[in-house]
Amino acid sequence: MKFLVTKDLAHSTLLTYLMSAVVFAILLYIGLDVILHAYIIGLDRSSIEATLFGDEVNFIEPILLDTLLLQVHIDLFMTLFAILILASIYIRLYANKTMTKWIVHLLFIFGMLAPVILILAYFIGPSLSMIWLITFMIWHFLALFVAMMILKKLLFK
Amino acid sequence: MAFFGIVCCYDDLKETSLQMKNLALYAIPIGYMLIYVVLILASGLWLFLLSQGLDSSEGVLHTIESIMHRPKPKSLHNFIEVAAPHLFAIGTLIFVVAHFMLFSTNIPQKVSRLVSMWVFMLALLNIVSYLAISFGLLVSGWIKLVAMSGFVLLFLVLLGMVAFSL
Repeated sequence: MKFLVTKDLAHSTLLTYLMSAVVFAILLYIGLDVILHAYIIGLDRSSIEATLFGDEVNFIEPILLDTLLLQVHIDLFMTLFAILILASIYIRLYANKTMTKWIVHLLFIFGMLAPVILILAYFIGPSLSMIWLITFMIWHFLALFVAMMILKKLLFK
Repeated sequence: MAFFGIVCCYDDLKETSLQMKNLALYAIPIGYMLIYVVLILASGLWLFLLSQGLDSSEGVLHTIESIMHRPKPKSLHNFIEVAAPHLFAIGTLIFVVAHFMLFSTNIPQKVSRLVSMWVFMLALLNIVSYLAISFGLLVSGWIKLVAMSGFVLLFLVLLGMVAFSL
């Protein structure tokens, strides 16, 4: 992360291009991650509950704990790296804005809560399934916003 | 000339102050990273215990005991399926966490180097240890348990060192 802080690279066009490219890649990742979770877990109440708790009417078995936990394990890792890169660049570009601190806090909190709530929902019950969906969508929209703000500053300054 | 010097000095001061503000803000992602890593380690441990037969009827201690005496058989295919992503992911994770020790003024670099290299070695041992069980070189799963607990404990020490340096 040192390269993001040092002033020696403040006016490097190469760094601008590199940061834009990595943010663009993360932007695509965020979009595809939503689609991936729509396939694996579902993005509406009935499909989330059918995945987590099964559906007797349609003969759907609930997801296995180890399959769900593996997804949560992978999600935590991927979310950490995506948010760490986004937050580092965002702080570099918007350090003087008061909102920066709160946006970074919210991004990390919701990014962490989503997988944790998903595994809790499996044990506690359907009441948490919508909370998972809300936290999941909030961190994705926040990451989308941060990525767009970074690209705006880098490409249209 | 003197005026130019003052302007440059003012610019440097402004730049330094902005960098200091940046550094204070960077404590936020680093702090959250530590929590994420703890969650990743916890979910990884849980996944391993599940793969060894942990369920609601048997407790953690019983599962550990069964790993000691008769670890679950794993084919080479199963081993590579788990080892390949973990070699990349654990290596990257240790590197990212440990590189923050470069900025630490509280802990000597020599200590950071020693701890991070041991974490790397234990991580490698943790990943490859099941190979000895799969190929029948070891009947007992003690090597996996020792490597895994050593890796997790030392990684927690490294996380503590980063937290202390924040």
